[in-house]
Amino acid sequence: MVFSALSLSPLPCPRLRYHPRTRPSAAQFSVRCSGSVSPTIQSKSALFDLKTYWTTLIGEINQKLEEAIAVQYPQQIYEAMRYSVLAKGAKRAPPVMCVAACELLGGSRVAAFPTACALEMVHAASLIHDDLPCMDDDPSRRGQPSNHTVYGIDMAILAGDALFPLGFRHIVSHTPPDLVPEHRILRVIAEIARAVGSTGMAAGQFLDLEGGPESFRFAQEKKFGEMAECSAVCGGLIAGAEDEEIQRLRRYGKAVGVLYQVVDDILEEKRKERGVTEPEKNKAKRGKSYVQVYGIEKALEVAEELRAKAKRELDGFEKYGDTVIPLYSFVDYAADRGFIFGGESSS
Amino acid sequence: MRYSLLAGGKRVCPIFCIAACELVGGTLPVAMPSACALEMIHTMSLIHDDLPCMDDGDLRRGKPTNHKVYGEAVAVLAGDALLALAFEHIAAETKGVNPSQIVRPIRELGRSIGAEGIVAGQVADICSEGMSNISLKELEFIHLHKTACLLEASVVLGAIMGGGTNEEIEKLRSFARSTGLLFQVMDDILDVTKSSLELGKTTGKDVLAHKVTYPKLLGVEKSREFATCVEVGSIRKCFHL
Repeated sequence: MVFSALSLSPLPCPRLRYHPRTRPSAAQFSVRCSGSVSPTIQSKSALFDLKTYWTTLIGEINQKLEEAIAVQYPQQIYEAMRYSVLAKGAKRAPPVMCVAACELLGGSRVAAFPTACALEMVHAASLIHDDLPCMDDDPSRRGQPSNHTVYGIDMAILAGDALFPLGFRHIVSHTPPDLVPEHRILRVIAEIARAVGSTGMAAGQFLDLEGGPESFRFAQEKKFGEMAECSAVCGGLIAGAEDEEIQRLRRYGKAVGVLYQVVDDILEEKRKERGVTEPEKNKAKRGKSYVQVYGIEKALEVAEELRAKAKRELDGFEKYGDTVIPLYSFVDYAADRGFIFGGESSS
Repeated sequence: MRYSLLAGGKRVCPIFCIAACELVGGTLPVAMPSACALEMIHTMSLIHDDLPCMDDGDLRRGKPTNHKVYGEAVAVLAGDALLALAFEHIAAETKGVNPSQIVRPIRELGRSIGAEGIVAGQVADICSEGMSNISLKELEFIHLHKTACLLEASVVLGAIMGGGTNEEIEKLRSFARSTGLLFQVMDDILDVTKSSLELGKTTGKDVLAHKVTYPKLLGVEKSREFATCVEVGSIRKCFHL
């Protein structure tokens, strides 16, 4: 059985607290066999308490986001921005992936937090615009009504327009220059801008709306893989990763991002079969799904291929030892959804 | 993206940027990526401003507005993509300058076009529609943020890229603010005195949308007088540069 059934309570598992360390020295490496590190990491990952790691990070990121979007005149725009960014149902996958990638390479989360927050702002902005009536026309998001249904289409467009530059500004104004040299900050800016723009998510959204079946896979990679790819890469850049490491993180991120969406589509199909879908969401969503295009069997195959691909990329970080475990666990979480968050919703 | 960006336009923001850069001793090549980025931002704000849910414009820079040709969805995405490209362009294409001189403009631009800048002006503008008791101060807020902000960002970016001192940057900022206000007052006057054909963009929208403008608050004649005052102030600031 590839995927666990949709469960409403966390799977029982022994809790092994994970404490991120500075770059491990050779002496700290555990003894392992001369083959691939994967079997050892695999077993450690199975014991790793991803839920606690993730929810702890969510708490820290939420606080920083709250401070970053303090209400001032004119209040309406800040309220609209906060409504979407601080939504309770948000899982904060982009910021958490950024921090995990940074810590994988021995970087500090203090250095990564401003970029992590910026990723969430930019992610929220793209979701606000995606949900607009002229785009996906989604009436709900993160377990609450979409931004435009509460604040109006004009305010929703402006909230997105304000969140993009706020993200860039936040990185520059809050990243400690003693921890991250300015030329790396510029690379982070360029990376996020690229991911959001005409060769990234904007392209994906466009093709999702107006492209034909031949562009489906490309559109999905752009629409869903891009943010995860960007998050992993930014974490690596903050930590000072080598170019080859950046490329690995890029491929890892893209695979996990798309995997997450494929599994979302499969779970949606299973919910439909059991008659437990939200009809309002079904009617409104205009985009295509993996299951619609390929059928459920092929979608399951694609998911397994992506799981294997993401983990293969992480094999290249062998020398960093256990710091790879959170990123490794994400892959299995994306595929199996071993637990849910309070107020779980997509994105 | 190209349709709107390359439709012509006066290129005021890029020119201000380059002029400010050269004024403080910098060179055109150093300022060019920022100059282009500013035009991308300006274009993006026009595309979104013209959307049906916003100002609902049919004509811009002498041609049908972006959403009229490409549809609303593409117009929204084109605006978003231009905004992103602007930041990418500055970060990746600026050469011959310290990274610290590129990071500061990014921060400045981020502040100028977001909820403390252009968007603040747009929101205040929307919220003032149909209201009869908007003060001159609130109107000035709208214009300083909606229009002057980007001009301010233009000269500040140019001055930073050109290696200007903090004092020079602040003087340029003050100059650009009053010049931006002047632009907008004149824009308001032209909106009620000229036709769409003459201006190349939809006119008469302000009245239809019950927007508060200088002519509405002061009348056309007093607005012209106010514009002259602002112009004089601007010229004075120019001589102090």
